[in-house]
Amino acid sequence: MRLTQLSEAFIRSAAYERRFLHKNPWDLTMVVWIPLLTVLLIWWIFSQTQITNLPIGVIDQDNGPVANTAVRYLDASPTLSVRQMYYSAAEAEAAILQRDIYAVVIIPEDFSRNILSSKSAPLILQVNAQYGTHSGIIQTGVQAVAGTLSAGVEIQRLIKQGMAPSQAAIAYSPISIQRISLFNAATDYQQFLASTVIPALLHILAMVIGATTIGRELRDKQLGHWYGFIASAQAYDNLSGNISANISDSASASASASANISGNVNNNVADNTVQKIAALSQPAAKLPNSTAKDNTNQKPVSTLPSVHMGVLLFGLLGKYFWPMLAYGLWSILALWLATPQESVASSAVFATYLGLLLLMMLSFWLGAIFTLGSFSLRMGLSATGFISAPSYAFAGVTFPYIAISDSAKHWSDALPLTHYLKLHIAQMQMQAPVAISLPILYGLAIATVVAMMLTALLTKRALAHPERWGAR
Amino acid sequence: MPPLSTDHNAKVTQPQPPVQGFFASFFQTLTDVFKDKGIVLMLIIAPIIYGFFYPWPYSSEVVNHVPVGIVDKDNSDLSRTIVRYASASPQLDTRRFLDEQSAKEAIWADEIAGYMVIPSGLEQNVLSGKAASVSVLGNGGYFLLNKNVQMGFLKAVSTVSAGVKIKKSVAQGAYAPTAAQNAQAVPLQIVPLYNQTEGYGAYVVPAVSIIILQQTLLMATAMLIGTWYEQRRHQTSISGWLGRITALSTLSFLIGCFYYGWAFELHHYPRGQNMLGSLLFLLLFCPTVATLGCLLGLWFRQRERSMQILIFSSLPMFFVSGYPWPADQLPTFLQIVRWFIPTTPAINTSVQLNQMGASISQVATGFYALAALWALYFALLVWLRWYNAPKRRQVS
Repeated sequence: MRLTQLSEAFIRSAAYERRFLHKNPWDLTMVVWIPLLTVLLIWWIFSQTQITNLPIGVIDQDNGPVANTAVRYLDASPTLSVRQMYYSAAEAEAAILQRDIYAVVIIPEDFSRNILSSKSAPLILQVNAQYGTHSGIIQTGVQAVAGTLSAGVEIQRLIKQGMAPSQAAIAYSPISIQRISLFNAATDYQQFLASTVIPALLHILAMVIGATTIGRELRDKQLGHWYGFIASAQAYDNLSGNISANISDSASASASASANISGNVNNNVADNTVQKIAALSQPAAKLPNSTAKDNTNQKPVSTLPSVHMGVLLFGLLGKYFWPMLAYGLWSILALWLATPQESVASSAVFATYLGLLLLMMLSFWLGAIFTLGSFSLRMGLSATGFISAPSYAFAGVTFPYIAISDSAKHWSDALPLTHYLKLHIAQMQMQAPVAISLPILYGLAIATVVAMMLTALLTKRALAHPERWGAR
Repeated sequence: MPPLSTDHNAKVTQPQPPVQGFFASFFQTLTDVFKDKGIVLMLIIAPIIYGFFYPWPYSSEVVNHVPVGIVDKDNSDLSRTIVRYASASPQLDTRRFLDEQSAKEAIWADEIAGYMVIPSGLEQNVLSGKAASVSVLGNGGYFLLNKNVQMGFLKAVSTVSAGVKIKKSVAQGAYAPTAAQNAQAVPLQIVPLYNQTEGYGAYVVPAVSIIILQQTLLMATAMLIGTWYEQRRHQTSISGWLGRITALSTLSFLIGCFYYGWAFELHHYPRGQNMLGSLLFLLLFCPTVATLGCLLGLWFRQRERSMQILIFSSLPMFFVSGYPWPADQLPTFLQIVRWFIPTTPAINTSVQLNQMGASISQVATGFYALAALWALYFALLVWLRWYNAPKRRQVS
């Protein structure tokens, strides 16, 4: 009996939500389509996985053969492209200021002479360090060219001295370095940025959905109606009879206008009409004045002596069923895109998916908690934005966690995204054994359950305070 | 009509004709902004908090003392020299591991960011003039860390390698100082311009500030217009709209000055290279964003919707702006579409003026683009006004 009551609450709540989403295209878009578009958009932005041909300039004051070789090497480097030769420093500076080029390589006057006389012949790279990404890539590229040039010059010098070419290469660099990038070896930006930005954005969107799904019931003063609806069929029939149906935007305007004129300013009237929650009930439209009875009907429902926690919990699960379904599906897509060519163990993908699902659910509940805590959808959304929007910056992906200032580390540790991305990178990119990431999964699971309980408790509190509903 | 707060209710009860004139509309907007907690929070308080909050993780600016591992399988004088040089590097913080497996496990556990393997027989190979190499294994999953690990080890090993070379050259009869000079025939001298310390915060925060300014102003404006729409107070004359836009952009302009004059100063970012140009930029940027906000408000038609739709959009907008990611690497379609967002010209223009010190003529494209966007948004606003209010036009 009790079990059927709980499943009834779940099903009724899901049906309530389904009808709402059906009638409100904006909300349906937020729940279903925007997350899908976001996943695809981010993947598309980074579809060119390598940065190539960054424009640089060259000032060649030497014009010798080695200098020409240097220019050729620079242009041949996959990350660089010599946009133009400049003849004065001022010209080059203006080009940098206009962002025609991001760096200029200066080959000094005595470059060839120094090389011929076995002296050190430096190249000078002036790089626009304000553009950090561009600057880093250009520095590495030009550094490589300088290294190649050096090797060529020295090995030739040693051969001239009579050394065998193979010996010369060793003598040039007695201890060479093999640089190996253990994971993400091709420095693929799609792997590095897109696959971590997507969960970050889904986290933001899920918190917004979490705040909105319960927050609009508070704003529209429908929370009691919702609970009544999921708790018993009786309450549903009583309530729905009082709600006028299917009134279009313009009609609602005139309806509320007439309410204003008649001097009977009843907040519930406007709510029920404007917000189209009315769509839930029978199509028989009633006069705005008659809906005023709502007030008297709703309060007893909301202050029902027994708000059953089990019913409330299952009702909440039902209310968030559609967002969970949508975000669960798009999470599969996100992980499918993020799975690199090299095989990732299916257990790793499964663990990551579990982590992402938990992150999504946790985000829903967190959004709901901020909204219920403040009794205001607007405040819930403000808190959501404040916490989730910059969380990627604190997560330690672009700027490493170990370099984050100590005080900010506490904030970073408190963000669920930080932990999920740690798991994501370990499992999807570093091929770590699943066991290493299990503590993160447990942590996310515990946080999700706690947040869910807290949401239910706060909903109970909100039901007990109908006088605070309707805050904007 | 949904009630906002008690003072808003009062307005609902006596529907008033919308204010029409420029100045009346200007002051009405200011009054409504300051009467509404939600809009004050979004328009004024949020950007000020973000001015402190966003630069917070980057306060150390440069990544140093990255924890790394060393697996020394050679255990010779030479390998110990390499280890000593590596641990002396300010970029690295070294730890010894017995074998590669334990080093790898430390990477997975996020204890180290990479490690170097010195193979056995290194010293012997070097002494007998055979090819010898060490391996540096960085974690490609984290770009910035990987660069640090590679560079730190590279410097340590190159120094030792150069030492070996010099010793050999000297042994072969070369004069020591000449040999030392030859360590690298073509050294590279890198001169970082503008952001001279190459700090991460100094790179990212000036650009993100423009995103913050845009998003808070967009959300606040759309929230205000959406609220007015719910109260059916959204309609006004063209000069009325101009008054509203002026009021909102004035407040946002002041916040922009807070960033330029104070927030950047506080964090010691490069700033104020062309202050007059920067202020002119804000004078154009704020109205452009405010006009877009009005447009979005008329589209969203609900108080909270601007936040629901706009909160997540900051990151994608940042990535298509061309600042953190070169714009010509974007798909062609996105390269065009991105120009409909104010931050696309704005981030680069602001950085070029304020951080790099470009002249106004050098950023003319950005100014033209912002002016064109403003004209486009305003034309759409005027069209929407005409399209949405046929009844009012007949009456008047």
